[in-house]
Parts: sequence; C-alpha cells; structure tokens
Amino acid sequence: MNLTGTDQGQYIPLGEGATTRQKNGASRTMSNRDKNPASTPTPVIDLQGDGRWLALHHRFIADSKDKEPEVLFIGDALVQLLHQFEIWRELFSPLHALNFGIGGDETQHVLWRLHHGELQHIRPKIVVVWVGTNNQGHTAEQVAGGIEAIIHLLQQQQPQARVVVLGLLPRGQYPNPLRERNKQVNELLEASLSQLPHVCFLDADPGFVHSDGAISHHDMYDYLHLSRHGYARLCPCLHMLLLRLLTECQRMGS
Amino acid sequence: METRGEPQLANRMSQGDSNPAAVPHAAEDIQGDDRWMSQHNRFVLDCKDKEPDVLFVGDSMVQLLQQYEIWRELFSPLHALNFGIGGDTTAHVLWRLKNGELENIKPKVIVVWVGTNNHENTAEEVAGGIEAIVRLINTQQPQAKIIVLGLLPRGEKPNPLRQKNAKVNQLLKASLPKLTSVQLLDISGGFVHSDGAISCHDMFDFLHLTGGGYAKICKPLHELIMQLLEETPEEKQAALA
Repeated sequence: MNLTGTDQGQYIPLGEGATTRQKNGASRTMSNRDKNPASTPTPVIDLQGDGRWLALHHRFIADSKDKEPEVLFIGDALVQLLHQFEIWRELFSPLHALNFGIGGDETQHVLWRLHHGELQHIRPKIVVVWVGTNNQGHTAEQVAGGIEAIIHLLQQQQPQARVVVLGLLPRGQYPNPLRERNKQVNELLEASLSQLPHVCFLDADPGFVHSDGAISHHDMYDYLHLSRHGYARLCPCLHMLLLRLLTECQRMGS
Repeated sequence: METRGEPQLANRMSQGDSNPAAVPHAAEDIQGDDRWMSQHNRFVLDCKDKEPDVLFVGDSMVQLLQQYEIWRELFSPLHALNFGIGGDTTAHVLWRLKNGELENIKPKVIVVWVGTNNHENTAEEVAGGIEAIVRLINTQQPQAKIIVLGLLPRGEKPNPLRQKNAKVNQLLKASLPKLTSVQLLDISGGFVHSDGAISCHDMFDFLHLTGGGYAKICKPLHELIMQLLEETPEEKQAALA
C-alpha cells in the first residue's frame, strides 16, 4: 500500500487535511467491528503528496520513545489546535501532557495510529480522547462505535490509564444535521460509557449554542474550530477533571 | 525568469477560459453544516459595518493568523480585516471577492495569500489564478496596493508540493511586475533547514504556522504594509525621481 507516494491520485475535496476512507481496511477477524468503517483501523492516504499525516504520526512515535507523559491527548484538529494556544502551556503542560492530535482525523484514523506505535513506550495516567466530528458519512451509531473501539484498545494497551472521552461539540453557524448527529453520538456514549470503570465521558460544551440557535465566531472562528476564547471557555472543566483524576491516581498509588 | 514562450497562454491563464484556477467557484457544502457560506456571509456583513484600511484575503494561512496574539499586536492597530477561509483555492477566493467581499469598503492595502490548496491545478494555473485575483482587485479597488504573499514550502521533507509552490512563486515574480499596484512578498526562505526538513516548531503540521512561524513572516509583512500605508503620492514621486 503506497501511503506516501508522489502519485497524488484523485483529489477528493474534503478540505484541508484531506482524508479518504479505504474500502478494505483491517482484517476480517473482528465480527461486528469490521462492518463499521468508523471502527476499522485505517490510515490516511496521502492525496496531497507531501506525506504530512505519516510525518506527524512518526513524530508522535518518536515522542513516545523520548517522553514520559502523564496525560496523553489524542484526536483531531480540536486536540491539535489546542496545543497552539497559550492555554495549553498554562493548564496542560504542567500536567506533563503530550498532544497527538491531527487535523481531519476520523475515529478509524486515530484507531490506526494507536495500533501502530503511538502507545508504545509510554504509560500515561490519563488518556483524553476527542474525535468523531470529522467522520463524514458515518451514522451516529457508527461514530460512537468507533470511539468505543478506541476505548477498548486503550483498555488493552494501557490498562493503568483512565480514559476521558470528550463529547463532540455542536458545529455550523445555525442548526444543521451535523449538530444532531454529534448530539446523538454524545447520548450514545454517555449511556455506553457509564458501564465502564475508569472511563469518563465529559461533555465540555460550555453553551456554545445561543438561544437563537447560532454559534458565535468569537467561540468558533469557522463554526467548527475553537478560537482562543472558545478554548478558554471549554478547558477549565476538563482541567479540573484531570486534576481530580490525577489526585485519585496518586491516592491509589498508581 | 520568464515563462516559456507564449504571452497569450499566460494571459489566458489569468482570464479563466482555459484555467479552472481562474474561474470563480463557490465551495460545495459537502459536510452539511454550510460553514463556508456562513463565513462568506459574515465577511460581506463586515464590509457593510467596517472600514478597514488593510484587508487580508486567502486560505487558512490567512485565517489562522487572526487566532494568534500577533494579529492583535501588529495588524488590528492598522484596522485590518481578515477574510481567510481554510481550504480555499484561488477559485474560491475569486468567487468570494466577486460576490460581495469587496463591496462597501475602500482599503488602502490588500494582502492576498492563497494557492497552496490548489491541488488539482498546475503551478502555471495557480499563478494564473492569483493573477486573476489581482486583476479583479485592480478593477474593484483601484486605490488599493496589493501584496501577494509567496507560497510557503510544506511537508516535513522535500516533496513535489514544495517544488510546485516554489514554481508558483517564480512565475509570479516574473508576471506580477507587469500588473498594476501589486508586489510579491516572498518570505518562504528560512523554513527549510539545511537537511531539507521543516520543523514542527515553525509549522505544527508541516503546513500551518505556529506562533513562532507567523512571527518570521509577519515582521517583513508588517514593515511592507506600514511602508505602503505611509506612502503618499508625493513621496512616491520623490522616490522615483
């Protein structure tokens, strides 16, 4: 499989960080999961021709070898961009956090990355998972299934870690089907994750949707990605949860 | 460096009849939340409300700039507006400028930064698309001085897109002097290290700039904008004498 070749192939205009879903992904040994493209580990194919997705993935593997994070963030652009703002340095660097976010990633891409080295050599106390909003063409059930697959993998490979799953945020300036889908994903997760020990579901939305149904560009500059102001509204409750979990870990001596 | 042979071809490239990168084209709402149109509509509203002296238009390289502190430090004081949309190609920017984003305003300087997302186009077509944008601005904003920012290298290691972007810059270097009130600011040097690598400290995903990456670009850009804002017709005459 040529992942980083110079052959750009057919361009699929999905926006920056163009991704594509492969039709035949992982092995067929999983029964229910391989029917769900959102939970079938799939790498991003390099359509643009500069190999950036794999380059980032390899950098994260190198980070895993070098560093000893206590908190690992993994997901899409909402994770990745967080790292660019001062708030990361204020709230999360002090917790010895690593950021493995890649813009455009869907659940099956994160799954693939976790299967292929990004969890090796590290033993974080907490893994924060924030992914799903980019899963184009997948139903809410499929997206939730993809996130659940990520959690199962984490439980296998990082049994000591608490997992924090962040709920998907509303998006678009006005009400639209993706808001409904993201909301449904959150509802499904809240139900299924409540059964699992050491897994928290956190809906960190501080109320981005106003009473008129609109989202402000002051919070999401393109009605999807958070501005500095949006992160400032969202991060405190995540930060508090992480502190609480880390304190619990300390008390339990893990 | 001159484009090979044919002035007519170069002309056609920026007039759109044989260059898709120079044909105005609205983005399709594939995802289903209409965000591109929402952003465009917001920019059109901004044009009605605000009186920018400087307008930035382009793709995410422009859009993200506004998210960093450096925008507030260097460009807000100049009464700058930011009409960047992530993912945009030259065709998208052309459409937006033709459909309201240049109305009701009279900026002194317009900064254009787009082209790195034109994956379906050749370097010649991309340059033609940028020239078409310049020509459109000349028509609708004849008072504005235009700065076209050169495309940056991308990808962690050498790859075809770096060559393509460099080619676009070369073509523009030759063609922009022939157009009106426009200059090329190529600040692409300084990102590629001697081993051919780009650092994630400059471009966090080997495409989009970090705060540090923007600082490298914004210093010369800010200086040039200040120069253009301060130039009066008399000063310009004196400089030419």
